[in-house]
Amino acid sequence: MRRRALVFSLAGISCAPSQPRLNVFNWSEYVAPETVPNFEKEFGVRVRYSIYESNEEMLARVFSGNSGWDVVFPTHYIVPPMREQGLLVPLDHSKLPNLKNLDPAFSRPTLTSHAVPYMWNATGILFNKKMQPRPTSWADLWDARVAGKITMLDDPAEVLAAALRKLGYSLNSSDPAQLRAAQREAMDQKPLLRAYLNSEVRDQVVAGDVLAAQIWSTTAQQAIDAEPGLDFVYPREGFPVNLDCAVILRESGRQELAHQWINYLLRPEVSARVADAMRTATANGAAKPLLAPETRENPTLYPPPEVMARAEWFETMTPEAQRLRDRLWTEIKSG
Amino acid sequence: MKRLRALFLLPAWAFTLLLFLGPMLIIVAYSFQSKGIYGGVVEPWTLENYTRLFDPLYGVILLRSFVMAGAATAGCIVLAFPLALYIARSGTRKSLLLNLVMLPFWTSFLVRTYAWMFLLRDTGLLNSALLALGLIAEPLPLLYNDWAVIVGLIYGYLPFAVLPLYSNLERLDKSLFEAAADLGAKPWEAILHVILPLTAPGMRAAGVLVFIPCLGAYLTPDLLGGGKSMMIGNLVQNQFTSARDWPFGSALSLALMAIVMLLLWALLRRDGEELL
Repeated sequence: MRRRALVFSLAGISCAPSQPRLNVFNWSEYVAPETVPNFEKEFGVRVRYSIYESNEEMLARVFSGNSGWDVVFPTHYIVPPMREQGLLVPLDHSKLPNLKNLDPAFSRPTLTSHAVPYMWNATGILFNKKMQPRPTSWADLWDARVAGKITMLDDPAEVLAAALRKLGYSLNSSDPAQLRAAQREAMDQKPLLRAYLNSEVRDQVVAGDVLAAQIWSTTAQQAIDAEPGLDFVYPREGFPVNLDCAVILRESGRQELAHQWINYLLRPEVSARVADAMRTATANGAAKPLLAPETRENPTLYPPPEVMARAEWFETMTPEAQRLRDRLWTEIKSG
Repeated sequence: MKRLRALFLLPAWAFTLLLFLGPMLIIVAYSFQSKGIYGGVVEPWTLENYTRLFDPLYGVILLRSFVMAGAATAGCIVLAFPLALYIARSGTRKSLLLNLVMLPFWTSFLVRTYAWMFLLRDTGLLNSALLALGLIAEPLPLLYNDWAVIVGLIYGYLPFAVLPLYSNLERLDKSLFEAAADLGAKPWEAILHVILPLTAPGMRAAGVLVFIPCLGAYLTPDLLGGGKSMMIGNLVQNQFTSARDWPFGSALSLALMAIVMLLLWALLRRDGEELL
């Protein structure tokens, strides 16, 4: 504790004495160009803003408890373990009046005690309209007619989710028999796959190398913006949802400012601007009417309620289930 | 004098201890602990990470890595030998040619691997050229298979094979070749019976320098293999990312290091000073 105090006082010396500094660690492409400068101007503070590309990268940094960050943005299923490890502070809702703007679909009380939903995406199939018949289900990614032209995400949770839903199970299943069955599905599918790729598949779908890819809705939308011959579908068996949330780290010495930052992000006009500029989907209900019509009525970013009825949130895995899943994934990849 | 020597060695010692041995000891300590629920390590101390190594699943991955690294090493030596011979015989242009061999190191390996993806993909340079020439009707599946990984490894580590072979060939007395010719050997016979045996140490050095980084490669199998062919480097990487099992990842990387050191030790014992 004492050492940390020393570090903070040194940090205080190095920057302008009168201007407090907020340290924000966020996913790449997750604020509009003016989001941070406007906050700095209005609140008279400086923001040190840095980006990461995966939850693991962020966790590795904040794990130590003296990472120097105040606010980070874990995906929703990372929030419970972070809370259990004592990395998060409970949020003071009296300092977050803009919480009322949240879309009720995303403001689960178990989550909002420590985390504020920010932006979300879901996993589905990005495909080239040349592909006939057009895919409507995960099972269509097991179709031998498009062998060598399909890709899956390079992510154990996502690949097993597709296989589990194809079999009619919950994508959060921890039942060994169900997981084994899903693994067999994935092994059957592997010879048909071109590769396991994450966002880098975007350019290959645009170029026409790949006909159909399991991918996140926001990445898919970027591809569709670049190539109108593409489309996106939410598979009929059901699909996973990822919700990225803002949390305040316990180590932060600027709790007040951190609350102000989160409350600022919850403003409808700020949130709408981020969602429009980054082509992503906001969890802020009050921001929705302010969106540009082409974003608001976009069925990829904001699927209609009948589609959302098939959505299933990723849950935090028990250590045993996690270990079994990791092993099954290693078997899939080395098989 | 002695004290002065110690003083001059101090920075090197401090550097080695702090930045090499320190992290290594941390890995050793991690490998005996248990996995934290979302990364990191927790008590209790355990040997489990090492007993898990004997799972046949990981043996298969290790074997695969050996085969892939072996193929890449063989490819490197076969390509590097004539190149090194040519450079060793090119007189005043030697240093220019050697610099050209090193030239790729001026850009990042990641960027160069991406460049290979643009060469090999369906709409890439190679397939487009073959299609335009009418030699093929459908793009060849060049990317995302084991061959792409081996080609990528050969490309990446070829300079490591050229340099030791070059220094070995450069030191060879040219008159040996002439003597072989005088005694009636055709040029290819002279290469086979004279030059090749004399460059065996250079080949072993090249082999070690290529094989070791290939064995632990993770970028190339990931990018050019499309995540479909797992090598030991990818297995280690997975433990630190999606599996969030740092202790097992640490044990794996230490096991890999032990295997590499055993190999090196066996070779060094045989070659003594000649190697490297």
